[in-house]
Amino acid sequence: MSAPVVAVSSRERTIAADLTSPRRGPSRIAVWIALVIIAIAFFLPFVWLIIASIQPGAALSAHISWHFSARNFKDVLNADTVYRPMLNSFIISAGTALITVAAAVLAAYPLSRYRSRFGRILMYSILFSTGLPITAVMVPVYTMYSQFELTDSVPALILFMAASSLPFAIWMMKNFMDGVPVSLEEAAWTDGAGWLRSLTRIVLPLMVPGLTVVFVFTFVLQWGNFFVPFILLQAPESQPASVTIYTFFSNYGQVAYGQLAAFAILYTAPVVLLYSAMSRVFGGAFSLTGAVKG
Amino acid sequence: MTTATASRAARFGAYVPALLLLGVFFAGPLLWSVYSAFTNVALTGSSSIDFVGLANFRTMFHDRQFWNSLWLTLLFVVGSAVIGQNTLGLLIALLLKGRGKLARALVSGLVIAAWTVPETVAGFCWYSFLHTDGTLNAILHRVGFSQNWLYTTPMLAVILANVWRGTAFSMLVYQAALNDVPPELHEAASVDGASAWQRLRRVTLPLIRRSIVTNLMLITLQTLAAFGLIYVMTKGGPGTKSSTTPIYMYQESFQFYKLGYGTAMALVLLVIGAIFSLIYVRLIKVDDL
Amino acid sequence: MRNRIVLAALSALTVVAATAGCGSSSGDAKSKTVTIAYQKFGAFIQLDQQLKDVKAEYEKAHPGYTVNLQPIEAAENDYYTKLSLMNRSPKSAPDVMYEDTFLVNTDIQAGFLAPIDDYLKNWPDWSQFTDAAKNAAKAQDGKTYGVPMGTDTRALWYNPALFKKAGIPVPWQPTNWNDILTAARTIKQKVPGVTPLNVYSGKGAGEGATMQGFEMLLYGTKNTLYDDASKKWVVSSPGFNDSLNFIKTIFDEKLAPKPQDALDPNWATTVSTQLLPQNKLAIDLDGSWINQTWVSTGQKPWPEWSKVLATAAMPTQNGEAPGKISMSGGWVLSVGSHAKDKKAAFDLVTTMLNRENTLKYDIGASQIAERNDVANDPRYLNSNPTLKFFTDLVQVTKFRPAYPVYPQISDAVQVAMESVMTGQAQPDAAAKTFADQARTAAGGDDKVMTAQ
Repeated sequence: MSAPVVAVSSRERTIAADLTSPRRGPSRIAVWIALVIIAIAFFLPFVWLIIASIQPGAALSAHISWHFSARNFKDVLNADTVYRPMLNSFIISAGTALITVAAAVLAAYPLSRYRSRFGRILMYSILFSTGLPITAVMVPVYTMYSQFELTDSVPALILFMAASSLPFAIWMMKNFMDGVPVSLEEAAWTDGAGWLRSLTRIVLPLMVPGLTVVFVFTFVLQWGNFFVPFILLQAPESQPASVTIYTFFSNYGQVAYGQLAAFAILYTAPVVLLYSAMSRVFGGAFSLTGAVKG
Repeated sequence: MTTATASRAARFGAYVPALLLLGVFFAGPLLWSVYSAFTNVALTGSSSIDFVGLANFRTMFHDRQFWNSLWLTLLFVVGSAVIGQNTLGLLIALLLKGRGKLARALVSGLVIAAWTVPETVAGFCWYSFLHTDGTLNAILHRVGFSQNWLYTTPMLAVILANVWRGTAFSMLVYQAALNDVPPELHEAASVDGASAWQRLRRVTLPLIRRSIVTNLMLITLQTLAAFGLIYVMTKGGPGTKSSTTPIYMYQESFQFYKLGYGTAMALVLLVIGAIFSLIYVRLIKVDDL
Repeated sequence: MRNRIVLAALSALTVVAATAGCGSSSGDAKSKTVTIAYQKFGAFIQLDQQLKDVKAEYEKAHPGYTVNLQPIEAAENDYYTKLSLMNRSPKSAPDVMYEDTFLVNTDIQAGFLAPIDDYLKNWPDWSQFTDAAKNAAKAQDGKTYGVPMGTDTRALWYNPALFKKAGIPVPWQPTNWNDILTAARTIKQKVPGVTPLNVYSGKGAGEGATMQGFEMLLYGTKNTLYDDASKKWVVSSPGFNDSLNFIKTIFDEKLAPKPQDALDPNWATTVSTQLLPQNKLAIDLDGSWINQTWVSTGQKPWPEWSKVLATAAMPTQNGEAPGKISMSGGWVLSVGSHAKDKKAAFDLVTTMLNRENTLKYDIGASQIAERNDVANDPRYLNSNPTLKFFTDLVQVTKFRPAYPVYPQISDAVQVAMESVMTGQAQPDAAAKTFADQARTAAGGDDKVMTAQ
């Protein structure tokens, strides 16, 4: 039954593709219908957001009043509401992602190259800690920060957010690194290179898509983080957009829907653009290939 | 420098930055949290921090609302992560395999957009979508079916919202995993007369076993702690119909100021997460992880 | 090689140290800095704007002192969380803070606030405050812990045009609960397509349901939620059951909105931005502040609001004296217990809350004045057509028993309301559930009582 495992020609690949994804017949139509349904299902929840942002006096209902205006966008596009919070979000998310990637790369190296009991236990225990809701640790974190007068310090905030992003990042980084054969490094070692040099000169260049994936993941995740910056930062001027979005829910619970929608779109756009830009640059390599294997 | 020295240095040195970050910023607060679960510390309203041993856990055991929240959490995790995101992610990955560039870009683009949208915005999109005057009801109005879904089916609503939001991750994981499955095996199987379904069960799934386990573990842990999405959509309501444990924890800790009690609940969640992970590893029989 | 590791570790430590250094930039003359923490949120910017002027005023009058403004941009509950966190650490505890009467007693018990009776004795303005206002921040130990800034009252907003359509004479002033039910029933019959009566109810509306809804009913009976004399929570009383019955009635007879709408967390927004302006709601039991939604800078600008809507006081159950009832919340400025210079902190409070500044604040933030001199000032009274009406209600208004377990009691009230409005439980059963929940929350049998 075993087929000869040889280099597969492109023609054979086409046949294989045929077998897994039929090019004709009723099953092909079924696949297309399923994809269309999925596409619509994923698009529908966005409808209100898009409509409400271009309607003055928008309410929760999705009724299109044919009275379009950019007023909501104009209302929110100012330094206080959009520019400064988005800049803060960018600084915080990018800073966190950079530090996370750096620390994760270093920590992933021994986990990937030197299988040890210690490494495995470390890996799993910090992975399990992600099951802890962040609201549980914020009180002692705040107490600690206020003790050392670190509240309202953006660098200190970034360090904490990096720490909380590490478990997942290390996991992904380790798996990416596993995809770079140790044999490539062994040559460098016999030449007398230290681990740091073999890491930076050999492994990292081969892991650029992986590094980018971890960077983007961390960035996107922290972009939406509300609770941590809210608790640890003092001055309203340092707050990121994830916190200022709540200003649209005014006192006594009144909501400004149109502006909320416009702000939400502006707030979401950068991460969506970042993700699509990265996919375009790296093409198919920008995926989780090699990221999540175990 | 010998390999032995290099390895020793690497073993300890490389961990330093990560361990430093985790140790300074995480370990201390984590330990305090664990300790506070055994005290009666309050956010405000009382200045005493007395060690009460297992009292919080005993209260929890008799707290009907806690058990309700635990049940809802399990429902939420199983429904939206284990079944929802996992299966849908695999399904989409399979459907998109071999499709043209446009189809892939459009579908995966939409799926990923749902994932990158920040939690508060996602919650609000779904809130408006399911509301009495919202998009869904605007469509269902024609068939006379409209109602406030957040009121009548709150758990279903938040489960669907979480599936919408998180499927992208599973989809990416499975796309990567499927890429590694050699096409020759499929070819061989179909030559032997296996149907598409049988090929999936007998060939594909066993080969991506590890990815399935890892994916399940990661999305379970993330979903267990999920708070923001549900809070924006229903605030745990109506009543307590969608009060999962993180929501209930938030109420106890920050609205009723019972920090010690809330943290005790967080510990229970952590234990549940560990149990889930063990179950996955055993069930899918991955010998060495 | 080893050097690199050492280098890496050192640089990491340096980063931590540097950030620690970055944080303590406020390490200058601490004793001469007075910090004030307050809420700045959405459309609520009045306090922030005014405090900037007050800061200048204060620094001129107290040379050598600096005022450090610490606005917290958050919604109510998050504001309480942040403030509590700040108060728990002496280093970050503010000297002066903007306290909700909801939280004052809780913070007093936690030891966050300092009593200011000694300073109030020497403040001439204190005699201008109404008795009710003076009690707003009084603890169970009899000491006062805050100076009121402004409050709110609650009453019935109604639509005379819809009343005329139903043949009910206006102006309308019900004298007991039955009058309200009669009017609502008439409207339901004569004016279809309009919701007759809105009373906030259930967990979705949160504290609004407890205050604007339930307590407006309960405190109009001869019972209350808390007995000051015995310091016990009243978990069972005829008034409680009667109030639940009222809720049950209006929802059963469909005089009130559909539960699925009323339980929406954003229902209050819908009421003030849609139902009232669109003449779709005839009677609304709501607060003195909702006209803020309709000003030109509000959520839903509606210049004709004062011509379309009228106000009537909420009657007591059977018309018992004083015939009207209202509930008040409100905010105070308190001095922190960790404040190094409490006199300086108190001076900041009195600067912000002198007559002129209080007048300006109450007008700008749609607050009801708690000072007699402000309440009688024509500038205040003329700033808003309904202001005099709501200010007069201060004479009969009651305050919540806002002790540390109040949030849990309030939650139990909302649960009881929700179960009767959805028909899940009869009022007697709901009242019993409430009694059990309240007993657990209060901490035992000795903290609760039944009233007749």
